Amino acid sequence: MDKPISPNLTRGAKIRIGLLILALVLPILPFVSDYMLHIIILIFLYMILSLGLNIVPGFNGLLDLGYVGFYGIGAYTSGLLTYHFGLSYWLIIPLAFINGAIWGILLGAPTLRLTGDYFAIVTFGFSELVVLFLTNEIWLTRGPLGLPGIDVVSIDLTLFGGPKWEFVGEIPYYYLALVMVLVTCFVMYRIQDSRLGRAWFAIRDDEVAAVSCGINLLTYKVIAFAISAAFGAVGGSFFARWVTFLSPDMFKFWESFLILCMIVLGGMGNIWGVMLGAALLVSLSEILREVLPLLGLPVEVRFLAFGLIMVLMMRYRPAGMLPIPAVAAKMRAGRKKRKKEKPVAGLKS
Amino acid sequence: MFLQQLVNGLVIGGIYAMIAVGYTMIYGVIQLINFAHGEIYMLGAFFAITFISFLNLPFFVAFPLSMACCAVCGVLLDIVAYRPLRRSPRLAALITAIGMSIFLQNLAMIIWGSRPKPFPQGALPAYFETTAVSFGGVNLSWFHLFIFGLTLFMMIGLNLIIKKTRWGKAMRAVAQNQTMAALAGINVNRVISYTFALAGALGGAAGIMVGSYYNSIYPTMGYVAGVKAFAAAVLGGIGSVPGAMLGGVVLGVAEAFGAGYLSSLYRDGISYAVMIIVIILIPAGLFGRVLKETKKSM
Amino acid sequence: MTNKRTFLITGLVFGLALVFGITTGAMADNIRIGVAAPYTGDLAGYGDNIKAGVNLKLKEINDAGGINGKMVELVWGDDLCAPKDAGTVASKFATDKSIVAVIGHLCSSATLAAMPIYVRAGLPAISPTSTNPTIGTVGKGWFFRNCYTDDFQGKYLATYVVPKLLKKKSVAIFYENNDYAIGLKNAFMAGAKTAGVKVTGAEAYVAKTTDFTPQLTKLLRDKPDTIFLCGYYPEGALIAGQARKLGFDGPLFGADGIDNEDYIKIGGKAADNTYLTVPFLAASAGPAGQKFAAQFKEAYGRDGDWMSANAYDCLGILAQVIAKTGPDRKKIRAGMAAINSKANGYNGITGLTYFDKKGDCSKPAFVKVVRDGKFEAAK
Repeated sequence: MDKPISPNLTRGAKIRIGLLILALVLPILPFVSDYMLHIIILIFLYMILSLGLNIVPGFNGLLDLGYVGFYGIGAYTSGLLTYHFGLSYWLIIPLAFINGAIWGILLGAPTLRLTGDYFAIVTFGFSELVVLFLTNEIWLTRGPLGLPGIDVVSIDLTLFGGPKWEFVGEIPYYYLALVMVLVTCFVMYRIQDSRLGRAWFAIRDDEVAAVSCGINLLTYKVIAFAISAAFGAVGGSFFARWVTFLSPDMFKFWESFLILCMIVLGGMGNIWGVMLGAALLVSLSEILREVLPLLGLPVEVRFLAFGLIMVLMMRYRPAGMLPIPAVAAKMRAGRKKRKKEKPVAGLKS
Repeated sequence: MFLQQLVNGLVIGGIYAMIAVGYTMIYGVIQLINFAHGEIYMLGAFFAITFISFLNLPFFVAFPLSMACCAVCGVLLDIVAYRPLRRSPRLAALITAIGMSIFLQNLAMIIWGSRPKPFPQGALPAYFETTAVSFGGVNLSWFHLFIFGLTLFMMIGLNLIIKKTRWGKAMRAVAQNQTMAALAGINVNRVISYTFALAGALGGAAGIMVGSYYNSIYPTMGYVAGVKAFAAAVLGGIGSVPGAMLGGVVLGVAEAFGAGYLSSLYRDGISYAVMIIVIILIPAGLFGRVLKETKKSM
Repeated sequence: MTNKRTFLITGLVFGLALVFGITTGAMADNIRIGVAAPYTGDLAGYGDNIKAGVNLKLKEINDAGGINGKMVELVWGDDLCAPKDAGTVASKFATDKSIVAVIGHLCSSATLAAMPIYVRAGLPAISPTSTNPTIGTVGKGWFFRNCYTDDFQGKYLATYVVPKLLKKKSVAIFYENNDYAIGLKNAFMAGAKTAGVKVTGAEAYVAKTTDFTPQLTKLLRDKPDTIFLCGYYPEGALIAGQARKLGFDGPLFGADGIDNEDYIKIGGKAADNTYLTVPFLAASAGPAGQKFAAQFKEAYGRDGDWMSANAYDCLGILAQVIAKTGPDRKKIRAGMAAINSKANGYNGITGLTYFDKKGDCSKPAFVKVVRDGKFEAAK
C-alpha cells in the first residue's frame, strides 16, 4: 500500500477530526482577531498551493521550479475576468482550473521527457517569462500599474430573484478557504489511491521498472503537471479575489522557492506533511517578522533562515518532517550507497 | 550604431562567457547545476570593493585577491553543501543549491546592505576612461580593451589548463566517468574541489569586471546574470567549455541587438527563451553531448 | 520522533500566540500611530528616510508634552514595498484597536494593497510618498496624501521645466517599467504635446538593469536635446554615466525618484547638469524648513530629503488633528477631511497642505540641479 499508514489509525484520525472542528468554530471564538484570521487564510492558501506543487516532486519525483508561473496565471485570469467582465467567482474557479491545466499541458508536453535538471531549469525559465509577460503586456494586464479594485467574492442570487451577498471582512473568506483546502485535500487523497496515483509513485520510485510495467511515462507526467498547474491556478484565483489587488511583482521566483520549502520541510509526497509544512513556514514567517526587529536583526535573516533550512533539511532529513516511507527509503538508500563506496575512494593518494 | 551594439554585445558576452564556463565545468564533473554560482560572481565584486575601500589596496592587487577569495568560497561551497549529498538523489542536491543561493544572497545583504553600491571612486586607473581606439563611429576606451583582453586571456588560459595540465586531464577524466577515474588513481574529491576553485575564480573575475565597468554592485546581481550565463552554457552545450564561451558571446550579442533594435523590456526574456528553445529542440547545444538519463536522477 | 514533532508544533502555537498577543496588547495611555514603509530589503533606504523624518517630529511632539498630555508612540510595520506584506501589515494595524492612524505606505503598490483593508476597518491613512493617482479612488475617503501625484509632476516637467527652465525642445525618455515611472511618463508625454515639446523616443527598462548602452545608442541617434531620467536614482545614475560616455553632453532631468545623494555618488561627474523636481527643497523652504534641515543634519549626519520632510509633516498634520478630535479613528478621518481649503490648510515645512475629496493635495514642486557634485536650487 502506498498510503502512509500511521501505526495507530484511530489516534491520527482523532487528531484530524479535532483539528477540523477547531477550524470550523475558530472565527466565532472571542479572542480571535481579524489579523489572526488573515494569517490563517494565508496558511490555507499556501496549503492549497503546496498540495498542488506536491504532485510533481512528491508524487512524481521531478523538480518544478516554475510553480509561481501557474499561480500568477490563475491570479491574473481571475483578476482580469473580474476587472473587465465582473464575472462571478464561482464561474472563475473552474475557468482558472482549466486555464492552469492547459498551460500545464502546453509547458509539460515538450519538456517532461527531459532529465530532471533540464526540466527544473525550463520550468524556471517559464515562470520568469510569465512574469515578464505580465509586466510588459500593459494592454492586457495593466502591467506594473497593477489591477486595483478587484471585486470581492459574492454570492449572487439576483438571477433567481434572491439577494446578493458580498463577502465582507475576513470571516467569509476564511470559510471559503477552508472549504477549498478540504476539497483539495480530498481530491489528493482520492488520486493517491487511484490508478493514476499508483502510476505516479511507480514513476517516482523507479522509472525503468514503471516503463516495463507498461506505463507511458510522458502521458502520466503530463497529467501530473497539468493537475499541479491547475491547482496552482485555483490558488491564484482565490488570492486575486481576496487581496483585491494584483501586480506582476507578486509572482517572483521567491514564491516558488517558498512553496518548495514548505513541501520539503513538511514531507514530500505526504499530504498531511505538505499541509504541515505550509502552516509551519507561514507561521514562522510571521513570528520572525515580529521577533526579528525586537532582536535587532534585519529581515534578511528570515530569508536566510529559509535558505539554511532547505540546505539542512536536504542534508539531514531529506524526506521531511512527516516522511513517506517510500521517499525516505529512497533518500536513505542513496546515502547507504555512499557509505559503502567510501573505502574504495580512499585507496589512492 | 550596428558597430556600437556589437561592441556592447561583446562586452556583455565576454562576461556571460566567463560565468557560463564556471557552470559548465561544475556540471561536467558532478552533474549539478550550481545555482549558487551567480552568488560567487556577486561576492567577487563585493570582495573587491571591500578590499579597495577598507584595506586601501590598489585595484590591480584587489582584483587577483578577490579572485582567490572566490576560489576559496567555491571550494567551501562544495565541501559544506554539495559533497555530503554526492550520492543523494539529484532533487536533493538541486534544492540544496537553490537554498545556498538564497542563503548567500541574503548574507550579502546583511553584510553589505542591499542598496546598490558604486565602485569606489578613484580606484580605477584614470586612463581607463580615455579612448584608446576609435573606428567607425565607435570609441573603445582602455577599459574596454582591458575587459576584452582579460576575458580572452582567461579563456585561453582555461583552455590550456584543461588540455595541457595534469589537473586538466584529471578534470576531464572525472567528467567522463567518476568511478573509472577513481579506479585510475585520481583523487576525485580533490579534483572536484579544484574545479570549484577554478570556476569560482573566473566567476569572481567576471563580477569585478561588471561591478567596475557598470559601477553598480548589489547583492542580487548574481541572480539574473547567473540564469543568463546558464542559458549560455546550455546554448553551447552543457559540459563543453568552448561551447560555454561561444554561447556566452552569442547570447551577449543577441541581447545587445535585441535590446537595441527590438524591445528592451524582454531583454532578459531573450535569454530565457533561448534557453528553453535550445533545451527542447537541441538539448546537446552547439558542442555538447546529449545527457544520458542516469539511474541516479530522481 | 513524535516527541520532536509535538515539541515543534507546540512551540509554533506558542510562538503564534505570542505574535498575536504582542499585536493586540498595548500601552493604552499612549496615542499609537502606525508607520508603514519598507525598513528592510531593496528599498530600505527610503524607509530609513521616513523613519528619520517621523522620529524627528516625534521627539518634538513628545518633548513638548505630547498631544493633550498623552505621549505619542509609533508602531513600525515593515511592508518590504510588497503588496502581499503590505496587506499583512495593514491587517495587523487594523486589528490593533489602539492604533488610531497610519502614516504610510511608501510605495504606491503597497498602499493600493493596504487601502481596502484600512477602508474596511475604518482606519485613516496618510501617505508621505505614494504618488499613484488611482489611490485616491480606492481610498474612499480614508486616504490622504501629503505629496503631489505623478500626474502633476509629469505635467510640470513637460510644461515648465523643459521649455522654460532648460529652454530645450526635444526629449528622449528612459522610463522604468513600474507604476511610478509609467504614470509619470504618460503625464509627461501628455503635457509635452500641449507645450510643444518633442519626444524623440521612449525606452523602457526593468529595475536593476545595469547596461543601458544598447538603448542609449538607439535613442541618441535622433539627437535629442535632453534625456528624461524617468525612474529611480540607481538606474538614473548609470544612464547618466553611460550617456556621457557615448558622447551626450546636454542636460539631463528627472523627478523625485532621482533625488538621492547616491545619485551623485554613483554617477560621479556624469551627474552634473542634472535637473530634478522635488517636493521639498530646504533652500526654498522658509525658516521652518531650514530649521528642519539643520536638525536633521545634526541628528543623522546626512541631508534630509523630501521623503523625510513629508513624513515629518504627516506626523505634524496628524498631531494637529488628534489634538482637536482625540484618539478616535472616525473622528480623525473627519478632521483630516476638514482640512480642505487654503484657509484651514496645514502650514508645514513642505508648504501649505490641504486635501481634496479624494485625499489628494496640490503642492508646489521645486527644481534642484546638480553642480560640481552637489545639489543646488535651480534658478
